[in-house]
Amino acid sequence: MTSNRVRVLSLVVEDDPGVLERVASQIRRRGINIQSLTVGPVGGGRSRMTVTVDAGHAEVDQVAKQVDKLIEVIEVHDITDDPIVSRELVVARVDVPEHARETFLSRLSSFGGRVVDALNGSLVVEVSAAPDQVEGFLSLLRPYGLSELARSGPVAMRKSAYGSSHK
Amino acid sequence: MIEAKPQTNVMTGADIVLSSLEREGVEVIFGYPGGANLPIYQRLPEHPALRHVLVRHEQGAAHMADGYARATGKPGVVFATSGPGALNLVTGLATAFMDSVPMVAITGQVNTSVVGRDAFQESDVIGCTLPVTKHNYLVTRVEDLAPCIRKAFHLATTGRPGPVLVDVCKDVQQASGIFDYPDELTMPGYRPALEADLSAIGLVAGKLAEAERPVILVGHGVLLSGAEAELLELAEKTGIPVGTTLLGIGAFPTEHPLSLHMTGFMGTGWCLRAVQNADLLMMVGMRVDDRVTAKLDEWAPRAETFIHVDIDHSEMGKNVRPHIEVVADAKRALQALLPLAEPGPASRRTWLTQIEAWREEHPLRYRRSNGHLQPQDVLLEMYRRCRSEAIVVADVGQNQIWAALWWRYRRPGLFINSGGAGTMGFALPAALGAKVGRPDKAVWCVAGEGGFVMTAQEMSVAIEQNLDVKVVLLNNFSLGMVRQFQDDFYGGVRSHVDLRVMPDFMKLAEAYGWHSARVARAEDIGAAFDAAERTPGPFLIDFQIDPEANVYPIVPLGKGLDHFQEEPYDI
Repeated sequence: MTSNRVRVLSLVVEDDPGVLERVASQIRRRGINIQSLTVGPVGGGRSRMTVTVDAGHAEVDQVAKQVDKLIEVIEVHDITDDPIVSRELVVARVDVPEHARETFLSRLSSFGGRVVDALNGSLVVEVSAAPDQVEGFLSLLRPYGLSELARSGPVAMRKSAYGSSHK
Repeated sequence: MIEAKPQTNVMTGADIVLSSLEREGVEVIFGYPGGANLPIYQRLPEHPALRHVLVRHEQGAAHMADGYARATGKPGVVFATSGPGALNLVTGLATAFMDSVPMVAITGQVNTSVVGRDAFQESDVIGCTLPVTKHNYLVTRVEDLAPCIRKAFHLATTGRPGPVLVDVCKDVQQASGIFDYPDELTMPGYRPALEADLSAIGLVAGKLAEAERPVILVGHGVLLSGAEAELLELAEKTGIPVGTTLLGIGAFPTEHPLSLHMTGFMGTGWCLRAVQNADLLMMVGMRVDDRVTAKLDEWAPRAETFIHVDIDHSEMGKNVRPHIEVVADAKRALQALLPLAEPGPASRRTWLTQIEAWREEHPLRYRRSNGHLQPQDVLLEMYRRCRSEAIVVADVGQNQIWAALWWRYRRPGLFINSGGAGTMGFALPAALGAKVGRPDKAVWCVAGEGGFVMTAQEMSVAIEQNLDVKVVLLNNFSLGMVRQFQDDFYGGVRSHVDLRVMPDFMKLAEAYGWHSARVARAEDIGAAFDAAERTPGPFLIDFQIDPEANVYPIVPLGKGLDHFQEEPYDI
């Protein structure tokens, strides 16, 4: 899924009602598709958003400037090309027959995944992985039905800290 | 030692709103009462420092506040009620937003307990105005009221100005709170002063000094920052010619030898030739939008250096990627540039001579020989009477471009129009707002009959508020600009542009208590203007002009600026 058109924006915003709508609306206005968006409070009345968009570098550069202009947006960085730590949480339901269970569990643990719930052969499993490993994890699950799937979308952070945003 | 605490000031939310406006130095509010802002209106008489102008439609309020702001440089203030009242503001907010006009709109909202439940006259005003305001606030707690209003004025008037809306729930207006108007603001994401970057100014001066065929283009930013004097000084010091955008008209005297007048797809031939042949373009306080560039790939093809000066960082490279960026208010940037500016190389003379030749080759001209009254004859006479002093407010369409092209001022002036949004019906209310703000100035309102009837109900406001505005109605019995586009670019199919069924404008004027005159022949123009100037109070002149008159020059849609077409000669 990842192509070189996909860019990752990391934002720090004021944790106010409506700020998500403002950010999403600004990106939508330029006709850019948001692939994933995660947001969570980071303390001090602020939230971090990680937005993955399907767009070229120049387009995203312009959108980032327009997003930065929003009053409640404190920082915007295009971190696509930076050394980053990026993780996505995947939660899935699979049906693993008794005889296949041992093999499945050992492969699951090789991904760092674990079983969080089990009922009548139906397992709910979770893994937190770098986005490029998520696809490999899903291909492990597919033979077992993969009857439900929930993905958080990536949350990301630059490995070294920024001084301040360009605003 | 313990300092005595200032006496706490307990009052209702409505009084907090009004006291906040007093603290901001607001003198006038353009508004309309309704269910959800009645608590504010109940308290308004207790605040006699706040003059209230009752409009006849909320769109009129927004445009009046817009005209007031452009004419005074102070933020325009608007009141409206919830639901339809607030929604009627949307076009006016969008107009102000596109043209970076400072405005604060305070709207009533339904009670906090029923927000989001489709209460009577409820609409999601925050959602509806989000893309057409610089920012907006929904106030659901009385303690947030004063800080939000303070922030709204700060946002509206600093950085790149724009409209800000504060939506105040009715129960918040009725609740009691302590009025404590904050001095300090915490806005970690908004630091326009820190964004300014003048580091490239030295580089700009160097490039200007060595350019052989430079052109300066300026937009609304020069007027908004009051940089007209700096611009004139820079042009004269460097000998660089200056063109303006439609919104930049007034920033540079058109009677100046270095004036290229208006640029863009309906700009003057000599300006377009200069832009297309320039080796350096410095763009100041403008967005470089599609009306300025026409076909972007063919814009300024010989320019080796683009310099962009704008207060808004996000404008850099939005449409044209500059070689040098200066993110700053136009006045600050030009002030920094002036001490470094120097006359260019000797070859600059050849460039100016060339521009002179283009000016003679492509003058503004119009047909006079077909027996009809020509709009240019009307405007030339109006501008003669403006004496480079009056405020001119134009509507949208042919009337706007004619008024822009025939603008001829010896000094900077105010030409107010809806350049970005192109909002028909803007002119009359904006002219009334301008007159409220600048009663010392003559205000002329130029409009077509199509746009005029969109907001004509505001004529009552002129009577009620005793506003001496003169309307120059360029009545061509059609939607002229649309008709021209249909003729030239849409296969000549005249589809729904005929406006022969319209009110008798003299009777309309009379019904509203205005004086008026009608002119159908060139020889009667002077007498009508005499009557308008002699008669105190608002006056409308119905100029019945050539229904086939067109705007020239014009660049055919989709073409580059080189392809501009001129009025055919017939004299």
